Amino acid sequence: MSTVEIDNLSVRAGSATLISDVSLNVEAGTWCTIIGPNGAGKTTLVETVAGLRRASKGTVSISGELVGSMNERERAKRVALVPQHPTVPSGMSVRDYVALGRTPYHGLLRAPSAVDRRAVDDVLTRLSLDEFSRRDVITLSGGERQRMVLARALAQSTMVMVLDEPITGLDLRHQMTMLELLQKEVHECGLTVLATLHDLTLAGQFADRLVLLNHGEVVLDGPSSEVVRSEELAACYEMKLRVVEVDGADVVIPVRH
Amino acid sequence: MSWATPHFGTGSLTANPPTGRRVALVAVATLIALAAAVVGGLVIGPTSIGTTRVVGDVASHLGLGHSTLTPLQSSIIWQFRAPRMVLGLLAGSMLAVAGGTYQGVFRNPLADPYLLGVAAGAGLGATIAIVDVGGGLTTPYWTPLLAFVGAMVAVAVTWVIGGRGLRSNTSTLILAGVAVASLFTSTQTFLQQQSSTNSIARVYIWLLGSLASASWSSVLLVLPYVAICLLICVAAGRALDVMSVGEDESRSLGLPVQRVRFVVIVASSLGTAAIVSAVGLIGFVGIIVPHIVRLLVGTSYRRILPLSVAFGAAFLVFADTIARTVLAPSELPLGVVTAIVGAPVFVIILSLRRRMVT
Repeated sequence: MSTVEIDNLSVRAGSATLISDVSLNVEAGTWCTIIGPNGAGKTTLVETVAGLRRASKGTVSISGELVGSMNERERAKRVALVPQHPTVPSGMSVRDYVALGRTPYHGLLRAPSAVDRRAVDDVLTRLSLDEFSRRDVITLSGGERQRMVLARALAQSTMVMVLDEPITGLDLRHQMTMLELLQKEVHECGLTVLATLHDLTLAGQFADRLVLLNHGEVVLDGPSSEVVRSEELAACYEMKLRVVEVDGADVVIPVRH
Repeated sequence: MSWATPHFGTGSLTANPPTGRRVALVAVATLIALAAAVVGGLVIGPTSIGTTRVVGDVASHLGLGHSTLTPLQSSIIWQFRAPRMVLGLLAGSMLAVAGGTYQGVFRNPLADPYLLGVAAGAGLGATIAIVDVGGGLTTPYWTPLLAFVGAMVAVAVTWVIGGRGLRSNTSTLILAGVAVASLFTSTQTFLQQQSSTNSIARVYIWLLGSLASASWSSVLLVLPYVAICLLICVAAGRALDVMSVGEDESRSLGLPVQRVRFVVIVASSLGTAAIVSAVGLIGFVGIIVPHIVRLLVGTSYRRILPLSVAFGAAFLVFADTIARTVLAPSELPLGVVTAIVGAPVFVIILSLRRRMVT
């Protein structure tokens, strides 16, 4: 059984169909990245997996349980979200922000337990955020904030994490750091990742598998090296792409007409 | 990835979130201020009664020592000043906490307890009673009752128009509140226009708020509402902290956002309606007290709400003491005093914050 099972999923908003008949399975401890041009339905797909949107048809299951039938608390123990535009509430310390990830465990009326506090300490250490833990969240740089948002999601101790464009707006070094941190969690902790990325090179280098989405439908689903070299990829973006290999890694280069 | 704009500025007087020690110091200072306001509320008045004698009388009621007050002085303390002071405590704490929870649930620093039409509804209800629409609505019995009913009807209409606040976003609810308040206020203005000059004057007096008619019966009437609503609102502090990251993120963190929003809005509105029915419309407390507390102890609602209970209570009793003594034997409208006292305090704290952060 796959950890994430998306079966014949369609999502509509008013009269518009955002995604249509998408079926997709993500195995435990693997990284699947959704790629595709703007408006392809990538964000809609990950938000539906995170339970933020209702399916108009089809189902999403995590470890065999339907996401739509879980309450918020049960869902938050199974899937964590790193959103595209996280809100950073001024005046909150980094530690308190990361500790929000423990909300589904201690509830709203009880204070965090020793287990919750240890989980937060552990994540802060793993992501080298210890030295910032007392700082106001808005004083952090973009890269540090990014790690903090990832830390909050990791503090949820879920099997599955969905990330929507997690490296947009970061410089190259911070993009790489972020993705390497995530890959470490996949390899060492068995985390299952479903992410969306615009950078095709980084998507190909980090994901075990790429799913190409266009106009809300799956165009191609396969190993990264095959998808980045496919004709369908260039066709979806309506441009010429070249793939060159550098030190064993595929680099996708857009070619100007 | 991009970042959503913060809603409350840096929030506190310090660049980093305040330490536990600082919060403890603010809490102790607030409790001292509350104790001073309580003593002031009992001692200060047109009839001079010494502090030690009043404190001795209070102690004698607790079975400690003997009172040295005359029966008249004791009556002044227990039949006039004490219920007024207690009602002030209840009103100040409820308005401050309701303002804080509204600011949290709507993520809007301009939110106050009257946001969803409580003031307009209560105003219309009270006006109906005061101008005696239809006849037979003799005040003072009908005024608090119709004010309470008007306030709750206004919030209920706002809730229904605003898409029941569940499926809609908070902006829709706020806009519905604006529309309902306009409708109720227009109706109230029409009723005033049709009534006598004497009635208009009484409506204005009610609108400006006062604790002058406080009695033990009015205290007992609002106490259950205020106690329960305060408890619910303060307990919602942790949920409001989670909601500070926005609705979708809160849901992804396991928060039942719609249920929390419903419970918090009902508790805040019910408590405010109960207070407004007893004391009229007292402005400024609900917006200024949570902001002052936020500046002192940071942006966490787990700190803001409990401290707002004590700070709001002390603030209103202090303001009422000024209201009933400055122009004695006549009184200043309490709403005017809260604005005159509160605005400079707020400005001072804001300028302190700017100096400490820069």
